[in-house]
Amino acid sequence: MLSEAASGEALLRRAETRRRWSLAMPALIVISLFSILPLAVMVVYSFLTPGTYGNVEWQFSLDGWFSVIFERDLFDDTLGLADAHLSILGRSALLALATTALTMVFGLPTAWFIATRPVASRAYWMFLITVPFWTNLLVRTIAIQEVIRADGTINRLLLGLGVIDAPIQMMFTNGAVLLGMTYVYLPLMVLPVYAAIEKFDFRLAEAAYDLHASRFYCLRRVIFPLIRPGVIAGSILVFIPALGAYVTPRLMGGGRAMMWGNLIDLQFGQGRNWPLGAALSVSLTLLVMIALVLSVRRFAGGGRADG
Amino acid sequence: MLEIKSLSKTFGAGVAAYHALRSVDVTVEDGEFFTLLGPSGCGKTTLLRLIAGFEQPTGGQLVLDGQDIAAIPPSRRPVNTVFQSYALFPHMTVAQNVAFGLEARGTPARDVAARVEEVLQLVQMDHLRDRKSAALSGGQQQRVALARALAPRPRILLLDEPLSALDLKLRKEMQAELKRLQREMGLTFIFVTHDQDEALTMSDRIAVMEGGRLQQVAAPRDLYDHPANRFVAGFIGETNLLPGEAGNGQLRLAGLAPAPIAEAGAESGAVTVMIRPEHVVVGQEAANAVHTSGRVDELIFFGTDTHVKLSLPGGGSLTARTQNSLHSGTHLTEGQTVPLSLPYEALRILPDEAAHAV
Repeated sequence: MLSEAASGEALLRRAETRRRWSLAMPALIVISLFSILPLAVMVVYSFLTPGTYGNVEWQFSLDGWFSVIFERDLFDDTLGLADAHLSILGRSALLALATTALTMVFGLPTAWFIATRPVASRAYWMFLITVPFWTNLLVRTIAIQEVIRADGTINRLLLGLGVIDAPIQMMFTNGAVLLGMTYVYLPLMVLPVYAAIEKFDFRLAEAAYDLHASRFYCLRRVIFPLIRPGVIAGSILVFIPALGAYVTPRLMGGGRAMMWGNLIDLQFGQGRNWPLGAALSVSLTLLVMIALVLSVRRFAGGGRADG
Repeated sequence: MLEIKSLSKTFGAGVAAYHALRSVDVTVEDGEFFTLLGPSGCGKTTLLRLIAGFEQPTGGQLVLDGQDIAAIPPSRRPVNTVFQSYALFPHMTVAQNVAFGLEARGTPARDVAARVEEVLQLVQMDHLRDRKSAALSGGQQQRVALARALAPRPRILLLDEPLSALDLKLRKEMQAELKRLQREMGLTFIFVTHDQDEALTMSDRIAVMEGGRLQQVAAPRDLYDHPANRFVAGFIGETNLLPGEAGNGQLRLAGLAPAPIAEAGAESGAVTVMIRPEHVVVGQEAANAVHTSGRVDELIFFGTDTHVKLSLPGGGSLTARTQNSLHSGTHLTEGQTVPLSLPYEALRILPDEAAHAV
C-alpha cells in the first residue's frame, strides 16, 4: 500500500517535471537560437584557420587566440605582447567607464526629476526619454555631428555672435566621442534609476530631515543606498555595450582612436582574419562576464552589510 | 511651551483651495501629554506636520519657548517624530536607525554609542540592536521608531498615530508604556489619534478637531462630562441627544416634567440635551431625576455591562448601560416596559445651533 502510494507520488512528480519543461520549451528554444547558438559559432570560429578572402577554413588552429595576446615581430619574428591590443582594450575600458560616469552625472538628476513629477505627467516625461530610441543609432550620431562639426550649429552660432573668430575643433576629439557615447547611452541609465527612485518611499527622506539630516546627508545616507540597485543596473546596462561600442567612436572619433569594437570590425573586414575577430569578441564577452560576476558578488555582499 | 497662534494652512488656491487648518489657537505646556483627536481629514495630521516643519503655515505663528519656529526647516527644529508608518530606514540595523539623528547632527561617535544604548534599553530593544529593521515585527518596529525619535533628546516628541498598525492587545500595552515613558522623562508629547479610547486613557489634555478647527481643548474627564458642542459629545464616548426647551433655570424635555438646572438660565428656546448611557437609571424612579418610561427594544451583552436600547413613549429612542455586577439586581427582557430616571446632574445642555435630536 505504502510503496504503491510512494511510487504514485513519484510518477506524479515526474509528470509535473515534464509539464514544466514543456512549458519552458518556447523560451528555451528562443534562448538557444538567438543567444547560445551565435556565441557557440563565435567560439568555434575562434579556433579555426582564416580563409584567404575572409571566412574560415575548417582546420583547427590556436593562432586566433594566440594573436589576441601576442604578436610576432615583422622583421625578426620574435614573440612580443600585443601592445596595440592591450592599449585598445585599455582605451575602450576607459571610454566605457567615463561614459558610465557621465551618464550617471546626467542621468541621476534626470531620473530624479521625472520620478518626482506628479504621477500623471511621469508617463509623458518617460516618453520623451525614449524618443531617441525610435531613431537609428547611426542617424542619431550623425545628428550630433551636425551640431558640433566645424561649420555646425554651435560654431556658426558662436561665430555669428562674435564670441570666436575661427571655428572650434570639436569633431574627432576624445570629447566628441564621449559626448556621443553619453548621448546614446543616457536612456539606459535613466530608465533603471527612474524605476528605483519611483519605488523609493519619500517618507524615509522626511524621517531623515526630521532627524536633523541636511539634504546632502539624507541623499548620502538614505536615498542613495536605497536606489543603489537601480544605479548599479544602469551602470551595467551602459558599461557593457559602451565597452564594445563601434559606431559612435568611429563616427565621432573619425577612426583615429580605435576601440575594441573597431578592432573586431577590422578583423572581419579588411583584416580578413575571422578567427582573430571571433577570439577578440569572445575575450570581450569573457571579460565582461568576469567583471559582472565580481561586481555582483561585491555589491550583493555589500548589500547584506549595508544595503 | 509651544504656542500655536491663529495657525492656518490652505492647500491650493482659488476654487480648489482646501482649508486644512482654520486659525487654530492653543498652547501646549511643558511636560504635557497633549493629544490631537478627530476623525480623518479633521486637520490633526496637518497640524502635526506644521509643528514638525514638513509644511509651511499659510497664516499664524508657531512659537516654541518664545521663538517663532515657522521659518526653521525640520532638520533644525528641536522636535522629532514617530511616524505612523514608522519610516525606519530598511537598509540599516536597529542601532544604526537610532544613531541616525545623533550622527546627522555631528555628535561624537562615543556619545552616539552611549545614547543609542540608553534609549534602546529604555524601549527594551537593546537585545536586537544588530537586527535589520525590516526583519522586525510591527511592535518591535514601533519601539525602534520611538527610540530613534527620542535619541536626539527632542524638546517635543510628535507621535502620528503610532499605535494604529498594532493589534489590540499590543496597542493596550504600548499605550501604557508610552504614558509611563512620557511621565518618567517629563517630556512634552503631542500625540495624534482618531481613537477616542486611546486619547482618553493616555492624555493630560485633548484637543478635539473637526473641519480644520479646534472644537474643544480639555482634560479627558472634562471633555467627557462637559462636551462643548454636539460634535464633541458625539465623538467622545456614546451619548444620547434629546430635544428640549430651556429658560428661567428650567429645562423641559419634550413631554416630561421640567428639571431645575442652573445652566438652563443661560440658554433660552430650543436646545439639545445630552445624557450619557451609563447615567440613565433603568427600572426605578430615582430622586432628583426626570421620570419617564421606556420599552426595551434590544439588549446587547458586553461582558461588564449591557447596552439597553429603549424607545420612549413620545417617540425617540434612548440607550442605557446597566452594570452586570452581582448586586445590580434588575433583570430585563426585550419587549418589557420599564420606568426610567434621568438624574438632573447628568443632563447637559449643549449650546449648539441645531435643536433636532438624533
